[in-house]
Amino acid sequence: MNAHHAPLRRLLAYALADRRLWRQALALLLLATVADVAGPLLIKVFIDDYLVPAQWVWAPIAALALGYVILQLIAAGAGYQQALRLNVIAMNAVQTLREQVYAKVVDLPITYFDRTPTGGIIARITNDTEAVKELYVNVIGTVVKNSVRILGIFIAMAVLDVRLMLICAVIVPIVVALMVFYQRWSGPRFHRARALLSDINARLHESLQGMRVIRLYGQEVRFQRQFTAVTEQHYQARLANVRLDALLLRPCVDMLHMLTLAALLFTFGFQSLDGVVQIGVLYAFIAYLGRFVEPVIEITQRLNLLQQAVVAGERVFELLDTPNIEPMRRADLTARSGGVRAEQVSFSYDGEHEVLCNVSFAIPPGAFYAIVGHTGSGKSTLANLLLRFYTPQHGKLLLDDHPLLDYPDAALRQAVGVVAQEPFLFAGSVRHNITLGEDVAEADIIATAHSTGLHEHVQRLPQGYDTPLDERGANLSTGQRQLLALTRALVRRPKLLILDEATAHIDSHSEMQIQAALQALHGEVTLLVIAHRLSTVERADRILVLHHGELVEQGHHGDLLTRAGVYHRLYQLQALSEALP
Amino acid sequence: MSVLLKLAWFFRLEWRRYAVALLTLLAIAVLTMLPPWLTGRVVDAVAERRLALSDLALHIGAIVVLALMVYVLRNIWRRYLYGASYRLASLLRQRLYAHLTRMAPGYFQKHRTGDLMARLTNDVSAVEMMAGEGVLAMVDGVLTGLVVLGVMVFTVSWKLTLLALLPWPLMAYFMWRYGDALHDAFATAQAEFSRLNDQVQETVTGIRLIKAHGHQARAKSDFCAVTTGVSRANLAVARIDAKYDPTIQLTIGSSFLLAVAGGAWWIAHDELTVGELTGFSMYLGYLIWPMFAYGWLLNILERGRAAYGRIDEVLGTAPDIADHGTRRAPQEPRLDIHIAHYAHPGGPDVLHDIAITVPPGATLGIVGPTGAGKSTLIDVILRMREGKEARISLAGHPLAAYRLTTLARQFGVVPQDPFLFSVTVAENIALGNPEASMAEIRAAAALACVDEDISGFAAGYETLVGERGITLSGGQQQRLALARALMLEPPLLVLDDALSAVDVRTERRILAHLRRARLGRSNLIVTHRLSAVRDADEIIVLEGGRVTERGSHGELLQHGGWYARMFRYQQIEQTLEGDVT
Repeated sequence: MNAHHAPLRRLLAYALADRRLWRQALALLLLATVADVAGPLLIKVFIDDYLVPAQWVWAPIAALALGYVILQLIAAGAGYQQALRLNVIAMNAVQTLREQVYAKVVDLPITYFDRTPTGGIIARITNDTEAVKELYVNVIGTVVKNSVRILGIFIAMAVLDVRLMLICAVIVPIVVALMVFYQRWSGPRFHRARALLSDINARLHESLQGMRVIRLYGQEVRFQRQFTAVTEQHYQARLANVRLDALLLRPCVDMLHMLTLAALLFTFGFQSLDGVVQIGVLYAFIAYLGRFVEPVIEITQRLNLLQQAVVAGERVFELLDTPNIEPMRRADLTARSGGVRAEQVSFSYDGEHEVLCNVSFAIPPGAFYAIVGHTGSGKSTLANLLLRFYTPQHGKLLLDDHPLLDYPDAALRQAVGVVAQEPFLFAGSVRHNITLGEDVAEADIIATAHSTGLHEHVQRLPQGYDTPLDERGANLSTGQRQLLALTRALVRRPKLLILDEATAHIDSHSEMQIQAALQALHGEVTLLVIAHRLSTVERADRILVLHHGELVEQGHHGDLLTRAGVYHRLYQLQALSEALP
Repeated sequence: MSVLLKLAWFFRLEWRRYAVALLTLLAIAVLTMLPPWLTGRVVDAVAERRLALSDLALHIGAIVVLALMVYVLRNIWRRYLYGASYRLASLLRQRLYAHLTRMAPGYFQKHRTGDLMARLTNDVSAVEMMAGEGVLAMVDGVLTGLVVLGVMVFTVSWKLTLLALLPWPLMAYFMWRYGDALHDAFATAQAEFSRLNDQVQETVTGIRLIKAHGHQARAKSDFCAVTTGVSRANLAVARIDAKYDPTIQLTIGSSFLLAVAGGAWWIAHDELTVGELTGFSMYLGYLIWPMFAYGWLLNILERGRAAYGRIDEVLGTAPDIADHGTRRAPQEPRLDIHIAHYAHPGGPDVLHDIAITVPPGATLGIVGPTGAGKSTLIDVILRMREGKEARISLAGHPLAAYRLTTLARQFGVVPQDPFLFSVTVAENIALGNPEASMAEIRAAAALACVDEDISGFAAGYETLVGERGITLSGGQQQRLALARALMLEPPLLVLDDALSAVDVRTERRILAHLRRARLGRSNLIVTHRLSAVRDADEIIVLEGGRVTERGSHGELLQHGGWYARMFRYQQIEQTLEGDVT
């Protein structure tokens, strides 16, 4: 339990952030409890002072009735307001935590995303914070509310009759002990039932996915037998659990409740044998008896959720505490031109296999360079390095004669635009996907879209630039999506534009449009086109040929063809593959 | 309610358990009426100062005995009723699973795994709830309600009952209203949460784009908007949810007030005693559960009906491949393929005019561009799919003449997706023959060139595969799948593009092994890499579902068609891939 203290304290700190709201909630809770507890007291006074002695004095009786009604209204109103405040506190806490994790995730380096499964990261921000929410909504609220209630009831009982109160009080430790015992006892059994259920689900999932193999190997009957065996075990485990539940939970608590009633009645009756007793007192006690057993059970049961929330919280904090060292940047640095230089750059993802090996080249501002190579030659890795997703282990990359690493993030993103192989589109309108929520003048959008050829496509959409895109842009063709991505990159007026296999999957009409747009940019923007398809790069000023991570040839299309090297073979492959359907 | 009729088969099956549960519930409903009545008698005796110790002991003793009896009875109905509902869940799971193993691959293409999983998990739980809690709410809710009302009316006073119950219809009305509103608010909250999920998913999968465009700040503020929406929606739920407690409190409070006021009036007129009033107040508390039960029941039935409908749909779908064959395994596995036309249900033709014979001991190569119908052809040959005009016969008899399990024994299939189960390596290889000895398993692994890899794992052949075990490379998975097929020493070995992730050199070794080990037995090899079928007795080129070229390797090269072009392409490609530095 000790190891859980630190994350629990940290989780509680989120809930305690708003002291003012807490003060209000506690004040309302106190008010509601007092009003609630006072009700039976008034009825007791009525029974003992007026009903039993048959004193029909209307004014005080009416006052009692009125007081009772007012108290009830106060209890209900204050209780409602207090519940709302506790909920606001809880929701604010979970919202803060969520926003912190999200912000953290967005700022983590790409290498983190390479190492960590996507599902895990998503679960941290959604499901785990949802589990933490249970702590705030259900555990804290219930524990605070019920503790105050129970205390209030016992104080009221003590005011009426200390002896009877003590009899009732006996039930509290018994119920708590019962719950603790139950949790100890049932913990491993429930764990077993849950483990069997997840085994069932895992088998099911696997069988559904591997059904073809199961059939191909004629193993249907064996797998059915195994599945039936596990479901039988699960069934038996649950039967055992329901027996245990019935023995120790509800029926047991109900029995204790009734036995307490018997004890109460006996003591009361016994007192009456040799003295005067007030029947109203018994009436009030019976009314109270039903009101504190339930809260005690609730507290113990909710504490179960605490464990889960703390475990989830630990995972969230682990992510939140991931170190994210931002290297020193030169705050004032901006790129005035898009000239690029690579000086003996080597890079490896895993530290073992070099993906790029001693690559050097220089691209003058405004030039159109292309990088080609067979699958696995390191082309896209080079693009990733230029986008600063990774840092080369050896050598240097320079943009406008300054090391890439010196640029502040915003300046780099401003200077370098990219169109990737898969145009990633956000849920939102065409316009939103171009501007990405930044302020861009309408005229700029339209002018850029004109230059890329996107405009004519957009005009055919039902709501023009305001047409919402379906999931991942399903209502656009691949070519149109690429034109959109190009427009998005160009509207930011980059100094360097990287096209990473941007024309790999598009129709020839869209490719021609992109070609024309690139031609128009020649001289203004430095272009670096990574391509599998050689037709895209024939007009490049210079082609860099990568082969197994090394820069093996460079030159103009015509020059390279005359050498019987890698480029020549790539060209032959291209020609052959066009002849293959 | 009609959905319960659909479960009639189960109620008949488990009628003993249900009968016991219902009788105990009825007994409890009656027995719990006694303590308030006994309490009332004690109070009256006290009030009239005629209480004797023996009398008191008798009454208290009766309450204690009742408490114990009710405890036992409550244990009984829980075991029987919940036990029955768990049995139903278990049965449904087993039936669904068995049914799904009889479905052909086409079914799993139409129904996603997630959807089928949901039916076997959530839907089964919803139906289980109907057979357990649903029956409880219906029987016990109604039963308790009627008994309590009856006792109040007939043993205390019908006038007082009517008066005290005045506020209850109002509560029922509000509860109903809240229920509706809560349902809507909850749906909104769910929708907001899935929006949050979507946004996180989009961020994590699109993190490169976000970073490449310097979109982080904007993404964070967008996320804040979403979390604010989530908080707001959750608070809307809380606002309705928080109304339940005050409403119940006010109803019961006013009901008590009316009971005490009316009770006092009738006590003053000697139509009632103080004890009866006390008992009556206790009965009022017993009415809360039936009030809840009704709304709860409607909810459970609604969910259960939808869930049972989805389960029934799965169970009601007849397997599309009938299994009525009786023939024993053939001696000479001669395969005759005559496909005039084959189309997927409701789709266009995928295969036409294919006529091939594979004599025992021959190897057939099947090649062709992506989407030519190669895998469909294999499926038809394996009787995973059936078509009227696609006639496949084995040893002169149509495939339907053999039992599916007999047929499975004839073919050893290495599918495109080498699906492995989350068991040990050895168990995966021995899938088709769980009794195989370690020596046989190793021999198969050695043939598939995976023995060395396996011996390199820490736990060797006992290494767990999959999520809880090690992650195998694509090539290792494929070779394991090959070993799994070779293990059976099948008359016909089918490799469905099964070595695509294995490097060329290992592929050559494997093919050499196969030539030796499978001497005199037939092989069907589908491949993209033409080198794998070089030695086949016959090779067919499938294009657009037709055989466009056929012959031996040499003949096809001479022919100068697709095969020859592809062969050259792959030769050049190999020179690009081959000269690794």
